[in-house]
Amino acid sequence: MFKAKVRPEVLKEVVDVVSTTVDETKITATKTGISIKAVDPAHVAMIDLTLSKGGFEEYKADDVALGVDMDKIKEVLRLAKPGDMIYMEHDEERNRLVFKVGNITRKMSLVDTTGMSEPKVPNLNLPVKIVVKTDEIRQGIRASESVSDHIALVANPEGFEMISEGDTDSVNLKLGKDLLEELKCKEETRSLFPLDYFSSIFKTISTASVVTMHMGSDYPVKLEFSIANEKGAVVYLLAPRIESE
Amino acid sequence: MGIDLSDLVEPRPCSLKDFKARAIAIDGYNALYQFLSSIRQADGSPLMDSKGRITSHLTGTFHRTANLLEAGIKPVYVFDGKPNILKAGTLQVRRQRKEKAQEQWEEALKAGDMETARTKAQQTSKLTRDMVKQAKDLLNYMGVPWVDAEEDGEAQASYMAQKGEVYAAASQDYDSLLFGAPLLVRNLTLSGRRKMPRRNVYVDVVPEILKLSEALGALGITREQLVDMGVLMGTDFNPGVKGIGPKKALKLIKEFGSGEAAIKAKELDVPSFHNVRKIFLEPKITDDYTLEWGTMDREKIERFLCDDFEFSGQRLQSAMDKIAEGQKTRAQKSLDSWF
Repeated sequence: MFKAKVRPEVLKEVVDVVSTTVDETKITATKTGISIKAVDPAHVAMIDLTLSKGGFEEYKADDVALGVDMDKIKEVLRLAKPGDMIYMEHDEERNRLVFKVGNITRKMSLVDTTGMSEPKVPNLNLPVKIVVKTDEIRQGIRASESVSDHIALVANPEGFEMISEGDTDSVNLKLGKDLLEELKCKEETRSLFPLDYFSSIFKTISTASVVTMHMGSDYPVKLEFSIANEKGAVVYLLAPRIESE
Repeated sequence: MGIDLSDLVEPRPCSLKDFKARAIAIDGYNALYQFLSSIRQADGSPLMDSKGRITSHLTGTFHRTANLLEAGIKPVYVFDGKPNILKAGTLQVRRQRKEKAQEQWEEALKAGDMETARTKAQQTSKLTRDMVKQAKDLLNYMGVPWVDAEEDGEAQASYMAQKGEVYAAASQDYDSLLFGAPLLVRNLTLSGRRKMPRRNVYVDVVPEILKLSEALGALGITREQLVDMGVLMGTDFNPGVKGIGPKKALKLIKEFGSGEAAIKAKELDVPSFHNVRKIFLEPKITDDYTLEWGTMDREKIERFLCDDFEFSGQRLQSAMDKIAEGQKTRAQKSLDSWF
């Protein structure tokens, strides 16, 4: 069973985050809330999203897996006017998800979830932890985008740097210890990442004012941020590029 | 040729981009034959240099592989080793067909029937040991690995896919599914515009993907049963039973549960049934290979293709630029390295 009432902006946050990685996904609903784990087709990025019951206005569910097409939910979201609520209910008999928004009822056929395997979340030992204002990173991304298609994330005990080097130009965002919310770093680490992935996930962050980054050298970066005013959380893993290759 | 399951399973169209950063094992002989038969001049004769040496296989290997590298794919070519003794019959038939086509090609040319000439010429494609060696040399210069299989290249490619060393096996045949490849990609090395056989029509060919588990699920059978179906229909290793095609084979397997039971119940004559089955279920494979994707050596490619085989330098440069772009993005790691 799955029945919920949710504010459109909350559902939009979920859909925006998931859409960076996959077009279709399996939503696992339990008594306490929903969760989504997904890996992009190139296996470069992974999301692990949870939204607790408290993120919904009303919520009732037994264990159920719903295979949904993100584009279809976006279509429903476009129908919502300010102040509208979105009602969702699983029609088990026909395996559909029935949405109600305003005076519209949209019956959405679900995607078969049997072929969707639950991705394993790698167990990473990342020595560096940084908590930083989302807007600072966004500004750094904006500056980098015209220069190169990749960025280096560098951390040392003094602070954090985001470096983007193109053929002729370069951009450097430097945030000393005092400008970070938190810094845990014993020795310098550095990894290179594809800017398009990094940028698209940051574009989806809407209510979180800070982001936590866990890093190592030539290791994936693990980003953590909240959604739905801290009623939900996203863990985002992004694989590095290897510079020497 | 392999068995034809196109009536029963429907591959899903996809694009090269879906395979970005992924390794794919390509049936080497299958690809080279494709190049040899499809890359031809209007009268059907293959591309040649001024010394009369055929170059179609090199054009294909270079440009098709360049497309894959540009898309950030990591291809590995797997070449057949010594053919299984049971394949001798198939090889004999193919040889005879080629000889016949050769005669018909010459006749058509004399009669001035270019359309027939081209079709017949395509069927004469013969790969020599030298040509395979040249293709392998070229792959070395491009930084693309290749593997010599013990016996069947598709069996080896499927094994590598099962082990997870590559994401999928690529071939036009469906045999890879019988060999247990979890994922089969068709049309990988021939996507783009292609002329339809015997018709003056061009179609856009896109890669197609076929998941073994989905195919088995759709047919409602196990892989062993799929192999049994293949043996009843006929494979490269046995002629099969006359009158049994994909649909009938599926019906028989579902009715009787196994090929053996079907043969017994219907009193079918399937020589070497168990041996052929074994080729698919316990193929001869090798672990003697390393998969490393390097970067191309522009100078060596140029020397080999331009100086030796008289390729046009300009087209070569732009293709090499594409490769360079693709090999750069390949530095992107996948999360799989951390599982």
